[in-house]
Amino acid sequence: MVAMTQLRVGERAKIVDLSQVSDLVKRRLLDMGVTEGAEICLKCTMPLGGPFMIENCGQCVGIRRHEAMNIQVKPL
Amino acid sequence: MMHIALVGNPNTGKTSLFNQLTGTYEYVGNWSGVTVEKKVGVLRSKKAKMIDLPGVYSLHPLSRDERVVTQFLLTESFDEILNIVDASQLERNLLLTVQLLEFGKPLTVALNMVDVAERRGIFIDQAKLAEALRVPVVPVIARTGKGCDQIEHTLLEKVTGQTEPFTLFYGEAMERAIERFIASWGTEEQFPVRWLAIQFYEGNSYVRDYVAEKWPEATWRSLYEQAEKEVRHTEQMSLAQFIYEKRRSFVKEVIEQVVQRTEIGQVTLTDRIDAVVTNKYIGIPLFLLAMYMLFQLTFDWLGAPLSDLLDGFFAGPLTDSVTAMLEAIGASEFIRALVVDGVIAGVGGVLVFVPQIFILFFFISFLEDSGYMARVALVMDRLMEAVGLNGKAFIPLIIGFGCNVPGVMAARTIEQPRERLVTTLLTPLMSCSARLPVYALFVGAFFAAHQAIVVLSLYVLGISLALILAKLFSLTILKEETSVFVVELPPYRMPQWQALWRSTWDKGKGFVKKAGTFIFGGSVAIWLLSYVGPHGVNVNMDDSFLAIIGGILAPLLAPLGFGTWQAGAALLTGFLAKEVVVSTMNIIYHVPDVESLQGLMATHFTPLSAFSFMVFVLLYVPCLATVATIYKETSSRKWTMFSIGYALVLAYIVSFVIYQVGGLFGF
Ligand SMILES: Nc1nc2c(ncn2[C@@H]2O[C@H](COP(=O)(O)OP(=O)(O)OP(=O)(O)O)[C@@H](O)[C@H]2O)c(=O)[nH]1
Ligand SMILES: [Mg+2]
Repeated sequence: MVAMTQLRVGERAKIVDLSQVSDLVKRRLLDMGVTEGAEICLKCTMPLGGPFMIENCGQCVGIRRHEAMNIQVKPL
Repeated sequence: MMHIALVGNPNTGKTSLFNQLTGTYEYVGNWSGVTVEKKVGVLRSKKAKMIDLPGVYSLHPLSRDERVVTQFLLTESFDEILNIVDASQLERNLLLTVQLLEFGKPLTVALNMVDVAERRGIFIDQAKLAEALRVPVVPVIARTGKGCDQIEHTLLEKVTGQTEPFTLFYGEAMERAIERFIASWGTEEQFPVRWLAIQFYEGNSYVRDYVAEKWPEATWRSLYEQAEKEVRHTEQMSLAQFIYEKRRSFVKEVIEQVVQRTEIGQVTLTDRIDAVVTNKYIGIPLFLLAMYMLFQLTFDWLGAPLSDLLDGFFAGPLTDSVTAMLEAIGASEFIRALVVDGVIAGVGGVLVFVPQIFILFFFISFLEDSGYMARVALVMDRLMEAVGLNGKAFIPLIIGFGCNVPGVMAARTIEQPRERLVTTLLTPLMSCSARLPVYALFVGAFFAAHQAIVVLSLYVLGISLALILAKLFSLTILKEETSVFVVELPPYRMPQWQALWRSTWDKGKGFVKKAGTFIFGGSVAIWLLSYVGPHGVNVNMDDSFLAIIGGILAPLLAPLGFGTWQAGAALLTGFLAKEVVVSTMNIIYHVPDVESLQGLMATHFTPLSAFSFMVFVLLYVPCLATVATIYKETSSRKWTMFSIGYALVLAYIVSFVIYQVGGLFGF
């Protein structure tokens, strides 16, 4: 189990733990179907500590790096 | 008349469907949060009213636009819900459908984007879906209008056989809690109290306020805490999470029955475009390049020649034929002067810029409808984070380039209240299309060789100041708030010509309309003020009322480089709408066309003071319409006054510095 920030671009992973993420962000992620158990793919990252773009079931979502750091995933 | 509410996830095509069904045009775009307020329309057949609402993921609102929906459901009366469901994202869409079914109003599901779903290899058995949800399901493609007739048919014919309301079983502990709530609530509501109970336990902030109006805090708190304790005990989950999981497992079951997937396994076009557009290294340069191209096209390559043609027409054939006509009908000299020197000079002087403004709007519409807007939010987030805002705040700023009013409205989708406030306050610094005629006039006169770059510098100045102020505000008024950023990135879609044109026209018509109302009225008033003075009518303009009024301001403006009564009068009228600055100048300098005006202005301005003047116009106060919108959005007189006040101070300081420092360097 690693933090999402450890993934390489293009790598797929399963989300294991969202409990460290702040409430508001977690709510939004749930809204978009990014929950524990969901399979995601890291699409791209922005430079200078910019946001991450992940894909889940054909839906792309952008989140900040420090939120991604709090998401625990299991690479597939 | 029957009222039908359109509810669904963001960016699923609600407004597209609304436009198809009502034959009107409301704002459509390919990102989440285009519609931010309730819009009402009438079906083509005139048999029912449709209400378009902002998109929501769930009925528990986080942002202000989402609140509109919950508020609508709770407080307004309507007869049916048309739930738009994105067929390519069935799971998260159905999570909302469950909550709407629990609400108990007759409901029809419009299964939209079936074309997108099919391309992804997702096939939905609509009969089975209808059976599982026990409501009619109609597949549509809102973009082309396919299936819209059937939707209308289904909406109008049903509401006959009352079926039992949909209930989802939430497990023993939760059901007991729901029953306790219902028993103590007592009174009847327009909607099932069970729905209220579930939303209350889920932590819906709007519903909680609704409940708190009836009950003292102790009552609802103890109900909530008891339920929370029981569920935590049996399920090891928080209430909200538990309710979410229950709904999700129901939705999963439904999907299992109705969806067939075939692996297509090809790289989608969106992936390929994103590999470039959101590339780590070229993402940001690409965005800047796109913006630069936009300006070049609007000002240099395409817009300027077209505007010149139009200017030639107004100054030549139009003025001549109107003069001839007025002479033919024997109009007095007063009428001739009013029409030719007042109306044609004032209104025509602004209408000349219609081509440039439409080109600008066309490109903004293209950005909006292609799906690039959400990428801009992503690409710019790092920069925005540094000034205490988030990438989503960039969307209102870009829309603000077209017109500040929808820009201010677009700030509604920002979740955090103070970030939203700051974005609302800063959007007027974006150089909107109404300021463009002012720039065009001055750069033509003073910077003919470097038009685009000078105009670009004004746009960049607007953005830079907005960012600096954002940083300043975030250190003061929004200190204790953490910024939140989660953005949905929709697939790219090739905008359709027709949709693009509708959207361009919808934005641009406001400008044309203003020319017919505000600017027309303003021109007549200004001309009259310049025609009469304390010593009678048809006076020398320097003795007119206009000169007296403008003259009061002149000494104040002198340190900025344009201490003339003409500049003072133009700026004063510019508060109505910034284009009026140009109308006023046209009338004051009393010339037939833009070209000769530019020649004349060279005697009143230097290039430096012209630049200082443009900067002042860019910053000095939001126009009347924007001020009204800021007041509506903040519902605070204090913040509205603040938005005017800080802009004035900022404009004065910046223009002062530019003029004085520029002078030192000998410009
Ligand atoms: N391919 C395809 N695109 C569609 C369809 N329906 C709508 N669109 C596109 O989807 C995008 C979003 O449409 P809107 O009508 O603005 O969506 P909305 O639900 O009102 O969005 P919000 O107001 O942000 O909640 C636009 O770019 C439409 O052209 C469809 O059936 N198929
Ligand atoms: Mg909409």
